[in-house]
This record gives sequence, structure tokens and C-alpha cells, in this order.
Amino acid sequence: MKQGIIFEIEEFAINDGPGIRTAIFLKGCPLHCAWCHNPEGISPNPQYMDKKNGKEICGYTISSDELSQKILRNKEIFKLNHGGVTISGGEPMYQSDFLQEVLHQIKGEVHAAIETSGFTSHEIFKNVVSMLDLVLFDVKQTNPELHKKYTGVSNQPILDNLNYLCHEADKDFIIRVPLIPGVNDTEENMLTLLDLIKDAKRLVRIELLRYNKMAGAKYPMIGQNYNPPFDPTIEPHIYNVFEKNNIKTLIL
Amino acid sequence: MIERIKDLREFITNKKHHAYRKTLEEVGLQDISQEFKDSNLPIVRRAALGLSMMLEKEQAVILPGEKIVCTRTVSQVPSLFTAEEWKQITSNHYIHEHGMVCNISPDYAYTIKNGFKARKKEISDKLKDKTLNKEQTDFLDAALTCIDAVQKFIEKYEQYALSVGETDTAKTLHNIKTDGAKNFREALQLLRVLHFAIWAAGNYHNTLGRFDQYMYPYYSADIQNGVLTKEEAFDLLEEFFLTCNKDSDLYPGMQQGDNGQSMVLGGRSINGEYLFNDLSCMCLQASFELQLIDPKINIRVDKNTPDEIYTLGSRLTRIGLGFPQYCNDDIVIPGLIRKGYTKEDAYNYVVAACWEFIIPGVAMDIPNIDALSLAACVKSVINQLNSCKNYQEFYQLVEKEMSHQIDMICEKHKHLYMVPAPMMSLLMDGTIENAKDISEGSKYNNYGIHGTGLATAADSLAAIKKYYFDENKVSYDVWVCALEDNFAKEKDLQKMLRTEAPKMGFDDDYVDFIAKDLLNSFDKILDGRKNERGGIYRAGTGTAMYYIFHAETLGATPDGRSAEEKIPANYSPSLFIKQKGPMSVIKSFTKADLKNVINGGPLTLEFDQSIFRNEESVEKLGMLVKTYITLGGHQLQLNTVCKEKLLDAKKHPENYKNLIVRVWGWSGYFVELDECYQNHVINRIEFGL
Repeated sequence: MKQGIIFEIEEFAINDGPGIRTAIFLKGCPLHCAWCHNPEGISPNPQYMDKKNGKEICGYTISSDELSQKILRNKEIFKLNHGGVTISGGEPMYQSDFLQEVLHQIKGEVHAAIETSGFTSHEIFKNVVSMLDLVLFDVKQTNPELHKKYTGVSNQPILDNLNYLCHEADKDFIIRVPLIPGVNDTEENMLTLLDLIKDAKRLVRIELLRYNKMAGAKYPMIGQNYNPPFDPTIEPHIYNVFEKNNIKTLIL
Repeated sequence: MIERIKDLREFITNKKHHAYRKTLEEVGLQDISQEFKDSNLPIVRRAALGLSMMLEKEQAVILPGEKIVCTRTVSQVPSLFTAEEWKQITSNHYIHEHGMVCNISPDYAYTIKNGFKARKKEISDKLKDKTLNKEQTDFLDAALTCIDAVQKFIEKYEQYALSVGETDTAKTLHNIKTDGAKNFREALQLLRVLHFAIWAAGNYHNTLGRFDQYMYPYYSADIQNGVLTKEEAFDLLEEFFLTCNKDSDLYPGMQQGDNGQSMVLGGRSINGEYLFNDLSCMCLQASFELQLIDPKINIRVDKNTPDEIYTLGSRLTRIGLGFPQYCNDDIVIPGLIRKGYTKEDAYNYVVAACWEFIIPGVAMDIPNIDALSLAACVKSVINQLNSCKNYQEFYQLVEKEMSHQIDMICEKHKHLYMVPAPMMSLLMDGTIENAKDISEGSKYNNYGIHGTGLATAADSLAAIKKYYFDENKVSYDVWVCALEDNFAKEKDLQKMLRTEAPKMGFDDDYVDFIAKDLLNSFDKILDGRKNERGGIYRAGTGTAMYYIFHAETLGATPDGRSAEEKIPANYSPSLFIKQKGPMSVIKSFTKADLKNVINGGPLTLEFDQSIFRNEESVEKLGMLVKTYITLGGHQLQLNTVCKEKLLDAKKHPENYKNLIVRVWGWSGYFVELDECYQNHVINRIEFGL
């Protein structure tokens, strides 16, 4: 049985898939996005956070069995309000063995979704997707250089996995694009993305998420400074090229 | 909202109509009690005469654009007793609150339909009965005096309307003076007059009942006959809602806003038909647009209620008025039947001022007569912990203490005195027939007892069970000392109790079943008891303002709560625990047999406003409500608040004069609350940050 490290369970997640969901945040992420609003999710290890009422440990170990049991306990309630569980992070694929064990145990019992950057090996991605009901797939930047510049990693595995979702996987998915002012809110980025996803059969919708102005709030709590290499005060551009190509679009 | 209503709303919220107000001294009514005493009038006649004199001094006023009139201009209600007389009465009676008939649900429908002439005829017929005693004829005469007074008052408004060229208004008033209402506007105007009259008679917490049911016939007839368009009907409805906010600052209550103008929408009929109609829907919309604290909306739902209704309700929740409050027919109706209400009456239930379940027209229940401090019952037997071999023995001590406290509570309310209320009697069934004032009782005369600190009590018992009996981790001496000196020397113990012990709200059977036991014991202890008015006692999960009082005398509690900390309001988890989330809370709070605590008292959930980003999230809030109802919850109230905003409002009240919050069973303007209530609202748990 695998052990995993999670840093939060949110019971009333209403913006991460259908119905009322429980969102589980797995710790550790290979990306270092300049706009990350959950910086405590980046390190794979438990760490202290300075909160209003003193130091608090962020992240704890849990076995795949225990987590699955916790999820299954609310099975009937998830059915009642058309919800389920959404595994998020950090990057949930970062603890892929643990993740796969959990998904294996809840498969078919609870509607399962994942929120992922798509940055993982194709083999893991395929296997994880096969156990899910829905994928929330982030696409931050289609341009390889810019992706590397703002997230620290190559977008090649991401684009490969996106291609798999669009053309092979036969699984419902939602594309999410965080709109970061001056970084990826360009017409070029949106048009390239449109090209990649326009033929996807199981694409439920695309969600354009405006930059979260509170993104910097948690950095001091983990002893870091938030120095975004863009101007966080300006509103991002919204090039909604998707709606007119018959892709359902939600702007949040 | 049309311009006319917008302007009227602006006029009223800016309190411009206060300019018409006069004090009792200014209208010369300050000393009527002395005149009453000197003329040796029976009290019931004094009540009628007092109302009559007050209405005579009322000035007819029509605010700009108004179609539904009546505005209070005499700002106080004259006392019927001299100070000595009242002192005499209170010296040998129990007085509930102000001693007036209050917190009941009048049957407006009868008078709206049949007019004053019907009641007048009933009274005249009854007066022919030669077997009546003096008390009975006094009452009937007083009731007649009230009708005359109200009719004269309507006449005054009619003449004034004519004099200022408001002919439609004059005609409406003319028609309702003796006859029943023939259309929606007349029905609303007559309701306004009746509601106005009972407030002017000094009765308070005057609820509005099943407005969407008793008003629907007038609305639907007007729509069908082309008398009104839906839009015109909606404007009138909004205007009626505005009238509930005109004089509400003059209404008695614990705090500004606690005025009991509850309205109940929807519900299922005895035949199983769902009664939520067009008008119910419009009420939600009117409240949504007006964004005012009155009337306070309740929706009756059950496990088969369509999702759209929850969505409509949630849209209203989102704007932060603290209502609607939901009541579950699946639990409340069988619960009322179990306590002796007839099936027909139970199906007709409404909500009193806050959350108490009462029956319109036939109940003179006092659902908030007192409160049992459940937490104090646990605390006060802690010294006997070492005499108990096991947890069951300790629990029996707690039960014994509850029983003892209930004995004292029941004893306390003997020799109840209530001031006769002939005006209110006109709106209650059977009063004329029996020639008996409503203050003397009705078909139901039940008393309700709130139960405060349930979560504190259950968490405390769970901590004792776990650390004293199951694990032997904390000794008797340590418990007693720690609680006595407020954990001064036991900081580690306190931390463990606060962060590791089982707590209600975590979906933990260990403690949730203890809460269930406590509520069942509460109900069992009240079972079979009769009050002096022939009624029974009902247990409840509400707290009213007792959550403030009881916390003050409680001292530290075994759940790790310090003496100076508050206890939760109503049916809610302890304040200091870090919640897992609303789903765990809902599961925890639906394990008890809530049919057994039918005096009511809602679970309260608080949400940060920012999480409701779009229509989809509003629908999901509705799903959450439905989950609570499906799992067997009895009553639910949701708030959306923004903590930062509340903190800022404390510092800069001038910027937040319209900020509305839910307090215990009612919504009020945050900046008008006493600081202890403000702080409590701020400290309550909040999800979704």
C-alpha cells in the first residue's frame, strides 16, 4: 500500500467539476509557475506555514486505503448532488503510484476527476485517465520557449498528453487556461490552442480563469517572496476565440 | 424594480417618513393608564379603548407614489396600566417577555376574505347569547370596539386620499372598510391594515404566515380576469414588502431587526400536492430586488422538492440577507403530529418570529418561553465523575440534572399573565365563538424550550467518555482543577481537547450519537408534562439570545472551551473548531432524530461570498440544501458573509449602513447591533475561504 502526502481536503468544491465535490490536494509539483497561488503545494514534503494563529504544519502522510475510505464514506452524498471527487495539487501525477492506487479503489463507485498540468509520462497519463470520469486539463502556454520561461519546464509532455486527450482517450475533459496578464493572454496563444483542441470530440468546455489577484497571499507564510515577472495589477485580455468555434466557454 | 418602487424604497430607507412621527406626549396619550384606572375599566376594554385612542391620533399619510397605505405616526403604544398596577400584576404572575400576546401567526385570510362585517355579525350574534358572563361580554364588546376603531381609521385614510386626489387608493380603502377584498390590491391593503392594527395594539413578533397561499386566489383571479398584469402585481407585491420596513424600528425586539415578520412559502398539502406557486416565486424575486431585512423568508421543502426551488432560494442566499431559511416538511409535520397537533394543522405549519414551528390561527403557543442550558447540565455534574463506574452512569447523572433543570423551568412559568388582546383575537379562530380572548389560550397552548450549547455539551461528554472512561488519560482531579481554574495550569490538556477530541461537525459517530442521546433525553424529559394552560412542552434546537446569557455563566467546559468563549447559536458546531467543511457538518447534524425536537432551531452554515462566482455555483448551493433535507435535517439557514467586510464595518459603520447579517433567528443591519452580537457574527465559522 502506498503512502501519499496531501495538504488539504476541501469538502465544498463547487468550481472543479460537476456537482458538489470533495477536492483533495496532493503535495508536490514539477512546475514552478510564476503565478502559482498555492505555493505550499510545490514542495513534495510537509512544511510549516506561518498562519494567523501561529505555525501550522502543511502536508501530512496518508495511505491510499485511508484516503479511499474517506472518499467512499460520502459515496451516497456524491450521488445525491451529482458530485464526486476531484484530485488536485500541486500536481497530482507527481505522486503517481499513490494516485493510481486511490483511483483504482474508488473507480466506478464515485465520479472521479483530476486537475492536472498534464506534465507526466505518457504511460502514467494514459493509465490515470483510464480510471477517471473527467479530466480538468490546464494549458498555460502553447509556445515552448515561453512555457519553459514561466513554468520552468518544457511543454512537450503536456502537448503530447493533450493530443492524446483530444484524439484518442475517449474521455470527457475540460481545458483550463489561467489568463496571466502579459504572459499568455495573447491572441496567438489562444489561436494555437484552438487549433490543438478544435477537433476534440469529448471536450466538455474550456474555462478561462482570470488571474487570481490574491495569488501572492501565501508566499510569506512559507517564507518566500512573491515577485511575479508580470504586472499583476492589470486585467488580462480575453480573446474568446473558442465560443465562435462552437466550443463552450466559461470565463471565471 | 420600477422607478416608483425604487423611489419609495429610497424614501423609506432614508427614513424620511420619520418626520411625521409624534410621541405619546405630543398627541396627549401619555397618561391614559391613569384615566383607565380611575374609570375602573376591565383590562380587555382598556386594550380596545387604547387601540381606539391610538388610531384616532394616527395621522393619515401617503408617501410619494404609495398605493398601499398606512404609516405609523404615533411612535409609541400607550401603556394600559399604571406603574403600580403593573407592579402588582408582576408581583404575583409570571410575565413572558413584555406580557403581550406575541409570536403567533394570525389568520389574516378569514378577514381578508369576509371583511370586518362578517366578524361584526358573528359578534352581534354571539352577544345575543344570554348565558354569557360579564367577562365574555366585555371581551365581545372590546372586539367590536376594535373593529370600529379600525374602520374609522380606514375611513380617515380614505378621506385623506380623496382630499389629495388619490382616488384609486380611496376606492380601495372604501371597499375594504366593511367587505372582504375583491382583488389583489385590496387584499394587500387589507392585510397591511390588519398587520398595522395588531402592531398598534402593542402585540409584536407578528408573523405573516403562508402569504403565498392566502394571497394566491386574489393574485390568480386578477391575472385571469385581466385586472392586473403580472408586472403590475409584482410592483404591488414589492410595495407590500416595503411596508414591512416602514415602521419596523418601532417594533419591540431584542435588537433592531428582531421583529418577527416571517413569511413562509411553499410546502406540501395534505394531499401531497406541492404548493409553491407563481406568487411564491415572485416573493423570492421581490426580496432579491429590494434587499431589505423584512419580510424574512422561509421556504417549506421536502425530499421531493424540485431543484429549481432550491436554486431560486440560493440566488437569494447569495446576496447575503441571511434568508431564506428552509424547513423540512418530512420532519416537521410528523414531529408536530407526534406532539399532538392534528394532521390538518400540522400540514399548515408556519414559522414564528425566528424558527419555531407554529400553526396559524389556532395556536397560542409560547415557543420561546425558556431555554435549557445543555452544556451547564454536563458541567454541573462533573464533580461527581469519580462516583461513576462507566460512561452510562455519568450520562444518567447528566440526564438527572436536565430533568432537575426542567422541573425548575416548568415551575417558573406558573401563574402566567398575558395582557388581553382583543384586536389580535379578531384574527384568531374560535375566539368569538367561545367569547374568549386569545390571551387566555387557543386550540394549542404549548410551550417550547430551547436547548442551548448542544455541541458544547456533546463535545464535552465525548471528551469525558474518551479520555476519562475509555482511555484513562485524564484523571478526575485534573478534570476538576482544569475546569475550575479555566485551564490555567493545563494548557496542553486544553490544546489536546480542542484539537484532538471528537467534535460535532466532523461526521464522527462517537460524538454525534451523544448529541442524538442528549436531544432524545431532552424530549423524553419533557414528555408527559403539562403546562397550566393545558398545553404540552416541546424541545428545540434553537437558542434565541440565550446563547449569549448561558455562555457567561458556564465557565470552562470539558471540550476545551475557555470560560470567556461563547457557545454556538442555534443548532451549530462549536465556534473554535476548524471545520472540515459543510458536508461533514451536515452529516453530523442529521444523525439525531430531529422529529423529536420540533420546537425548531436551524443548523446555520456560513459561506464566504466570493465562492459563488456564477449561476452554476448558486445551483450547487441549492444542492447542498437539498442534501441536508434529504438526510433528514429539520431546518437550515445559510449566510454568505465576508469577514473582512464585517471587520471594516465595525471600524467604519458609516460606510456600511445597509450591510445585513443574520443574527439568531432574524436578519438585521450589522451596524445597529450591540457589539457582543457583532463579535459573535464575526467569530462564527466560515467556509470556503
